[in-house]
Amino acid sequence: MTLPNSTDGAAPSIPEDAMRRLAEMKPGQATTLFTSDLSVNEFLLVREAGFRPLGLVLGSSIYHVGFQMGRWSRNQELDTLSQAMYHARELAMTRMEAEAAVLGADGIVGVRLDIEFKEFGTDLAEFIAVGTAVKADEAATAPSDGGWRNNKGQPFTSDLSGQDFWTLVQAGYMPLGMVMGSCVYHIAHQRFWQSIGNIGQNVEIPQFTEALYDARELAMSRMQAEAEALHAEGIVGVQLLSLPHRWGGHTTEFFAIGTAVRPLRPDHIIDKPQLVLPLVDS
Amino acid sequence: MADWDGRGLPPVAAARMARFASGGLRTSLLSVPGAAGVESVGLRPVGEVMGCIVQHIGFAGWSGCGYYGGFGGLAGPGFGNPGAFGGGIPGTVGGGIAGGVAGGSGTTVTSSSGGFSGYRPYVDALYRGYGTAITRMLLEARSMAADGVVDVRLRVNHMDGGNREFVALGTAVRADSTTRPARLFSTELAGQDVAKLLRAGWVPAGIALGISVAIRHDDWATRRQSSWGAGNVEVAGYTELVSHVRADARQRFHRSVAELGADGAIASELSLRIWEIEPSENHRDHVAESTMFGTAVARFHRAADPPTRSLTYLPLRDPSPFRRAR
Repeated sequence: MTLPNSTDGAAPSIPEDAMRRLAEMKPGQATTLFTSDLSVNEFLLVREAGFRPLGLVLGSSIYHVGFQMGRWSRNQELDTLSQAMYHARELAMTRMEAEAAVLGADGIVGVRLDIEFKEFGTDLAEFIAVGTAVKADEAATAPSDGGWRNNKGQPFTSDLSGQDFWTLVQAGYMPLGMVMGSCVYHIAHQRFWQSIGNIGQNVEIPQFTEALYDARELAMSRMQAEAEALHAEGIVGVQLLSLPHRWGGHTTEFFAIGTAVRPLRPDHIIDKPQLVLPLVDS
Repeated sequence: MADWDGRGLPPVAAARMARFASGGLRTSLLSVPGAAGVESVGLRPVGEVMGCIVQHIGFAGWSGCGYYGGFGGLAGPGFGNPGAFGGGIPGTVGGGIAGGVAGGSGTTVTSSSGGFSGYRPYVDALYRGYGTAITRMLLEARSMAADGVVDVRLRVNHMDGGNREFVALGTAVRADSTTRPARLFSTELAGQDVAKLLRAGWVPAGIALGISVAIRHDDWATRRQSSWGAGNVEVAGYTELVSHVRADARQRFHRSVAELGADGAIASELSLRIWEIEPSENHRDHVAESTMFGTAVARFHRAADPPTRSLTYLPLRDPSPFRRAR
């Protein structure tokens, strides 16, 4: 980020104006009060992208995840668990979106979607979605067809950081919503004779490969289906995670999450980045 | 030392301030980029400042979860409206997410409900701890003729016998200006962040905090929903508990920003702790504590457009193991 140059005459007035503002400040005076958990960089970039933070928004659900056993020697999706993981996240997301809608937001940026298993109960987990609701300034170039909200009339959501959000808008795209797909998969154990037969050999274990393929493809195709429902052009910032949670070595959640986007304008030309060589480690 | 009455600064701290005034030695806890940052916006570090208080928290003020029955685990009626919860947006009225999740018969009691409800004395003690530590730190800063304190670190150290030490540690700065603020500002933000904010037309106003503790009785619905054979189901009672306690902490955070007269706040931490207590046999409650810390900021640039302009550049550095640096 470039900042006003200290030679353009503005420099001496920085502390002066700032201190004057603090001197004028009256406790309890009515202001357009926002809260946000963005970092300073993100906050300034979101402002620069033409958006005003309205407030921190949050949705939470403490969920009892059901029980399902996989057959010992079979590759299979544990659909009860998949549904639980998806449903609970959706509850948290929906509540967060509802808070943002109450604030009259155009979207939510910097969303974090976390799961925390609780100590006080088996199979209890808190699913939580936190983000910052934003509203576009009048100056921001609103999409020609309709506003910033997505085709479901909801504020857009995005797990992109403030920096990525700024870059996305600069490049002429807008986020539509976070899309996700979940698949909890039980990977078969090897049969006894099969594992004996593999001793001392370097071989592929096809059923393991196939299981991982299956599970990831299921998670990704579910995510894609959500993006199609939003009429997205694509999905950016996709993360494909393997989350073991608490189910032991052979049962894993494969979770795909990303931000569905659509173009704001036909061309996507951005400033050619300047190359810099920072004199710091990494 | 023994005859200090708790007002103003302790004698040793006052002595250090006096030595600072006579010697004029400048100290600072800032990193090099932090110090360069604040200097670039006309804030000069004058010295490190500290404030602390040790408190004995002996009475948490538990007055129960509102469950006095004992007939089949039903709390009496009239404890509020369990169906609607989650009205967590400060500053809006009726922003609850009603329906959807039908609560059980229990109801959450937060520390803001009045009286000794829901650990109110405990929360008041935490507020007094942080508040006093910050005030004493600002007193030191004031005696150095500073205008504010940056890069404040707030810490709580647990000591033996239920005692807790609250410490605030930061670097006092003085502005190159003729105007002096009405009261000293303070911020948890590092020097670099303060510099970026000031150049973009925002000034940190003060540290804002919101703390709340809530308690909720485990009623039959909660027990059923969290039991082993419940299948996929939301435990509405626990969700209600955490939603209420977070909403209350956020509201108090919001109020503390408003009391400063600032325009907004950048939160640095939003945390939650939840645990189980068993005040009597077959009577279980859950308690949740939520805290929110941050810096209130005030805008001083008047133009509609932000004064900063970002420059796209591509740093030719080693790939970072963390793909999403924030």
